Amino acid sequence: MKRENEFAVGLAVIAAFAVVVGGALWLSNIHLGHTEAVRTARFRTVGGLSVGNPVVLRGVRVGRVEGIRLAPGSWVEADLKIYSGVALPERPAVIAASASLFGEWAASLVSIDQLPNDPNVRAAIAEAQAAGGGGTKWPGATLPDIGQLTAQASRIATDIASVAARVQTAFDSEAVIELRSSIRDFGQIADRLARVTNEQADVFGSVGTNLRKGSDALGHAATELQATLGRVDSATNQGQLAAILNNSAAASHDLHQASQDFRDFMDAAHRNQESLVRALVAADTVMSRIANRTGTLGLLVADSTLYRETTLTMIQLRQLLSDIQANPRKYFTFSVF
Amino acid sequence: MIASIGRRAVEAVSAAGRWGFFVADLGRAAADVGTWSRLLVGQMRRIGVDSLPVAVFIAAFTGVVLALQASYTFTGAVPLYFVGTLVGKTMMLELGPVLTGLALAGRVGATMAAELGTMKVTEQVDALETLAYDPQSYLVLPRVLAATLMFPVIVALAILTGICTGWLTSLELLHLSTAEFVKGLKLFYLFKDTWYGLFKSATFGCTIALVGCWIGLGTYGGAEGVGRSTMRTVVYSAVLILMLDAFWAVVLL
Repeated sequence: MKRENEFAVGLAVIAAFAVVVGGALWLSNIHLGHTEAVRTARFRTVGGLSVGNPVVLRGVRVGRVEGIRLAPGSWVEADLKIYSGVALPERPAVIAASASLFGEWAASLVSIDQLPNDPNVRAAIAEAQAAGGGGTKWPGATLPDIGQLTAQASRIATDIASVAARVQTAFDSEAVIELRSSIRDFGQIADRLARVTNEQADVFGSVGTNLRKGSDALGHAATELQATLGRVDSATNQGQLAAILNNSAAASHDLHQASQDFRDFMDAAHRNQESLVRALVAADTVMSRIANRTGTLGLLVADSTLYRETTLTMIQLRQLLSDIQANPRKYFTFSVF
Repeated sequence: MIASIGRRAVEAVSAAGRWGFFVADLGRAAADVGTWSRLLVGQMRRIGVDSLPVAVFIAAFTGVVLALQASYTFTGAVPLYFVGTLVGKTMMLELGPVLTGLALAGRVGATMAAELGTMKVTEQVDALETLAYDPQSYLVLPRVLAATLMFPVIVALAILTGICTGWLTSLELLHLSTAEFVKGLKLFYLFKDTWYGLFKSATFGCTIALVGCWIGLGTYGGAEGVGRSTMRTVVYSAVLILMLDAFWAVVLL
């Protein structure tokens, strides 16, 4: 019984151990007995790359990411375990990129001479390469996460949907009917324009005819003008035109003189006007003062008491003069000594 | 009411004290290798190997259900090879250890409590002490060590069974190829997934054995007391397994 127990327990333990170890090795893609080389790649960021992700060369798995750590100078270093016997590119670079839409990432080995035509990747590889590392560290770059790309695509799709919705709003059934009506109206306008054009063509034809007639009349007028000019030429030859010009010069001189006189007259009138304005301004000031009841006249106008006093004074003065005339001795005394 | 609260508080403190003495005695009993080592293999057979059919049976159907539910959830949106990911991760991290632990809490914990409780109420434990046998090294330690050692074994085989049945279900019912299932299984695998589940299951086994032995050795009141101890062991073990599961998830994940 005891041996049976030991056998059963031993069998269970061995089976479980085999399951755990074998399963872990199989699931981790660890190849026992194969010598594997660990190489280090240098990135600015590894994005979603994590330990255990595959390392692929031209799409074939050739290793796995063994470790990821921060490095001095704001770098991230990833240890890549590469299976033995893999012919690597002469100058390898590593591009970390998502392998699917569901969060799987992979580190792809590429030759520096055959980098993808992406300026960001090329710049990142060049920067990592320039950072050195003694030539033992492979330069690395990271492509944007598919999630970021899909988010960007989603924003673009949203914008397109918005534009489409606006177009749909702008071109609803009513707008289509109006557009159809507008096209019909445009057609009618085009017909009318064609009719007008035809009519105008007729008009232009008659205008051309009239123009031809006018040209004939003009030619006739030119002939007559030529005859008139001949007569003028003959008049010039007899000195009549010189007399006319002399008379005109004299008349012009008289006119000039009259103009000068008129200008003097206007200057004088202007000066008188200025004086008149000043007088009017002074009168206006006086009238304003009287109206505002300031100044002597204003006060006289406004204050009846002063008026009465003045009147009374005048009466008294008259009485005084009358009294002086009646009784001069009362006021004037003459004595010799 | 105040008296009731006080009585319960005293009982809780007393239980904590008894638990402390129990664990301390267990530590001392570890030195008695000659006694517990002879009994260890037998307990490993009873607790571990004999529990395999139950654990494998539960894991087998769990794997089937996981695969089907995963395909039901992923329809249209997520590639179907993620069925492998979900089956593998869930079996390794959660359902393998916890479901096996809960099932064995009923089988192993209840057996221990009933066995030791019967020995206690029939004074066999007192007889052992009279014969100079330490009950801790003779009864408790072999069970605790056996449970702690054999639970990871049981859980490992249960995880394997669950993944295999999930794979077969994917092949037959979901028309998924083996390569696709394996791709999903390997996709996000970390070695931590393995050791986390096995370590957790070891703590579950230790807990079930300790609770079963402690409650069993504290049994009183004849057959009724044995039944009560059995019931308490199953309940306490189940509760502690779930609490430990949450604790390890917080600490280790």
